[in-house]
Amino acid sequence: MDLTVKRYIVAALSFLFLVSLLLVAYQESRRLRVERKLEPVVTALNKGCVDCHRTDSPALVMEWEHSQHAAYGVGCVDCHSANQGEVDAWLHEGEYVSALVTPLDCANCHEKEYREFSQSHHAKAGEILASLDNVLAEKAAGMPGNNADSVNGCWQCHGSIIRFERDEDGKTITSGKENRPVIDSDTWPNSGIGRLNPDGSKGSCHACHSRHAFEAKLSRSPENCGKCHMGPDHPQIEIYNESKHGIAFYANRDRMALDTQGDWVLGRDYSAAPTCATCHISSYMTPNGQYTANSHDVGERISWTLRPVISTLLNSVIYQDGFKEDYPHTRELPEIGDTIETIEKVVENEELVSRTVPRQVARIVTWEERRQVMKGACLNCHSDTYVDNFYQQFDDLVILYNEKFARPAKAIMDDLLADGVLNPNAPFEHHVQWVYFELWHHEGRRARHGASMMGPDYTHWHGMYEVSKHFYQEFLPAVVEVARTKGAAMGRKYEQRVEELLAQEEHQWVKGLSDQEAEELRQMYQQRYNE
Amino acid sequence: MADFQEQQTPQAGFFQRVSELIPFDWELIRHASAEPVPYHIKKWWFCLGGTVLYLFVIQVATGIALTFYYVPSPDQAYESVAQITQDVRFGWYIRSLHKWAANCMIVAMFLHMLRVYFTGAYRHPRQLNWCIGFLLLGITLTFGFTGYSLVYEQLSFWGATVGANLAEAVPLIGPTIAYFLRGGPEVGENTLTRFYVLHIGLLPTLAFGLVFLHILLIRLHGVTELEFEGKEVPEKERHFRFWPDHATTELLIGVLLMYLLTIMALVFPAGLGEPANPTQTPEHIKPEWYFYFNFRLLKLTSLRVSVVFTMALGGICFLWPFIEQWLSRKFKVPDRVWVMLGVLAFLGFLVLTVWESFVQ
Repeated sequence: MDLTVKRYIVAALSFLFLVSLLLVAYQESRRLRVERKLEPVVTALNKGCVDCHRTDSPALVMEWEHSQHAAYGVGCVDCHSANQGEVDAWLHEGEYVSALVTPLDCANCHEKEYREFSQSHHAKAGEILASLDNVLAEKAAGMPGNNADSVNGCWQCHGSIIRFERDEDGKTITSGKENRPVIDSDTWPNSGIGRLNPDGSKGSCHACHSRHAFEAKLSRSPENCGKCHMGPDHPQIEIYNESKHGIAFYANRDRMALDTQGDWVLGRDYSAAPTCATCHISSYMTPNGQYTANSHDVGERISWTLRPVISTLLNSVIYQDGFKEDYPHTRELPEIGDTIETIEKVVENEELVSRTVPRQVARIVTWEERRQVMKGACLNCHSDTYVDNFYQQFDDLVILYNEKFARPAKAIMDDLLADGVLNPNAPFEHHVQWVYFELWHHEGRRARHGASMMGPDYTHWHGMYEVSKHFYQEFLPAVVEVARTKGAAMGRKYEQRVEELLAQEEHQWVKGLSDQEAEELRQMYQQRYNE
Repeated sequence: MADFQEQQTPQAGFFQRVSELIPFDWELIRHASAEPVPYHIKKWWFCLGGTVLYLFVIQVATGIALTFYYVPSPDQAYESVAQITQDVRFGWYIRSLHKWAANCMIVAMFLHMLRVYFTGAYRHPRQLNWCIGFLLLGITLTFGFTGYSLVYEQLSFWGATVGANLAEAVPLIGPTIAYFLRGGPEVGENTLTRFYVLHIGLLPTLAFGLVFLHILLIRLHGVTELEFEGKEVPEKERHFRFWPDHATTELLIGVLLMYLLTIMALVFPAGLGEPANPTQTPEHIKPEWYFYFNFRLLKLTSLRVSVVFTMALGGICFLWPFIEQWLSRKFKVPDRVWVMLGVLAFLGFLVLTVWESFVQ
């Protein structure tokens, strides 16, 4: 081989060497960006704020310095700046600023996240005024002139309508030498996820991405969701903690790579356990590569709604402008291209109002497709048979609850209303209404959520056990009791109704087990406990 | 009159007197520096050996400067590096030069070896010089390993720990070497001192000796004469003088290298990670890039297999001129086979290196 050829070989290898070194350097710099904490960058625009607030509110500045925002020079003014004339703006040290940072402010940089979030259930969490929950908070637990239960309870998760103190002419009242607008203390501070902001945006990014450090690990941690998704009516965090997933998470938190910047991908960055974010909104690996998730639309993968009296499967209708509606499977789906009169809730003059907007259907996602996206996450650890069988178990539980308890109970309640026993304007006048409410809203949800997230105790003891106990021992007697208030004949009608119900096969056990079943039961207690 | 003339040219008298003070055969120097250099050396890619030497000189100079401020003690090492980087005048520049010259030195060394291998310049009678060169590669990589550990940041500390574990896996003598490197059974207070002594004492001494031998052998053998086909060169143009012709070329390369290193230092100054924390293992441990191929091998096989494989590979490379000579004679292997083998070996090295960089 002559030297000229060899010279070309050396040149080619040297070139490949250089390319390799550049590839290594690129990867290295990416890795170092993740592992090394970048220094906070205080731009000239933000220097004044940082200098004063380092004394006025030092911990706040320290938290900001700890953030990725600081590392990239995104500071106070970048998020808090406002325009002159905006209701929440005031001139502060030469800059118009606002204490309220809304999703629209965040959208200046995080446009995709804003768009995804705006389509989500979370963004609509503040639209709860027309709900029984709200009646309970404002009426049952509240009193005229004092809405403190809603303010301190419901709104801190669901979000408030931000209102301002106004004079008789409707002008905002201001305070201090800088004429800072005074926000109605009932409505702010508030970091509810469906907060209704003066600029028309819905939500508060701070609900999940706590200021001012905005750490990714916080929003990926189950405790973050647990602030709201807990308690007697939707104990998701308690169920998660009970589940194998939760146990694996807490034991292996150090292997969860919660600090990963950018996409946090199951099967690539971590494997120890799924969190709420993993299953509902995060990216994951598939045999065909990475599935990059719609990271801020939390309901996207949910196939059942477990919230109403009777659960339904959920299809999605997505319109040309990105507006999205859930269609229960019992509701007829439109065709793509149809124009539908949609109802949207917006804030006008600091009040939530409904308006009808004609929209054209762009896309329909069926409940099966939504479930398939969820299954993709499951398949990172489980076989398809395992996942399919899990969904079969879950579906069976929801159907059991629906058919045995929810549907009969609802039918009876509807009849009581039709017979004039119950006043449609008084949802909590009688004992039966409270029992019925808790039957589906508390116990029924616990059972369904328990099954959806593999929490056996919540499915049974906190769920179906409570549902059945209260159905037989509280609800049915309360039905007869309330019917009797409308006369003996009405009472007899509902006694008979209950008798007929209990005569159905699934309820006959109340009158007695079979001889064999009863004997087996006695023997078990005798053998095990000598009782 | 003659006395007067001598007084008029005091310089001649000065050099005369100095040469009398050092009774050396200055003619020998003149002879040595006038070595005829083959014409192909005018091409820059034949000057990579000189580039390595130039970078080595930079390492010595910047290394000595850093030694004035560096404190080789576990509780002060990181702080002293931070002080060099942040407080000492030009400290960041000297440190960045040291870092980038080290990386460039390894790159230039690989390129030099590529050139020597593919042009067959290691063949008889220059086999020994290949062996010395290969030892210099080993010493330079050890320089890199020990120097990186001296920074005493989290990643470099744990890199040293992994390095010591690798050494332990060497058959028979591994545990002794590891114990010697660590200064005890675990990485501890003595480890940093040992790495420091290796980095500024033992390794430079060895390097100076071997570089001297390397150059001496080049001078004694003369540079390999290469013929490029189709390029007839008249006899009088086949050689040029080392001094000042080739020395000027090397000087020019030196200036360009200083430009390059200064730009690297300005754009990518040597940074500093988290301080070493012996109680907390970082999520990802990575050595410097030139050990990536070995790290990948380790992950693909096992600690013991990768260490033994690397040693065997190193042994083969070290003795390659003799092995190749023996194989060529015994099996009549044509030259192109060795070229292909070289291409495959180097591509293998590159693939493993890049592969490792993509693995978290």
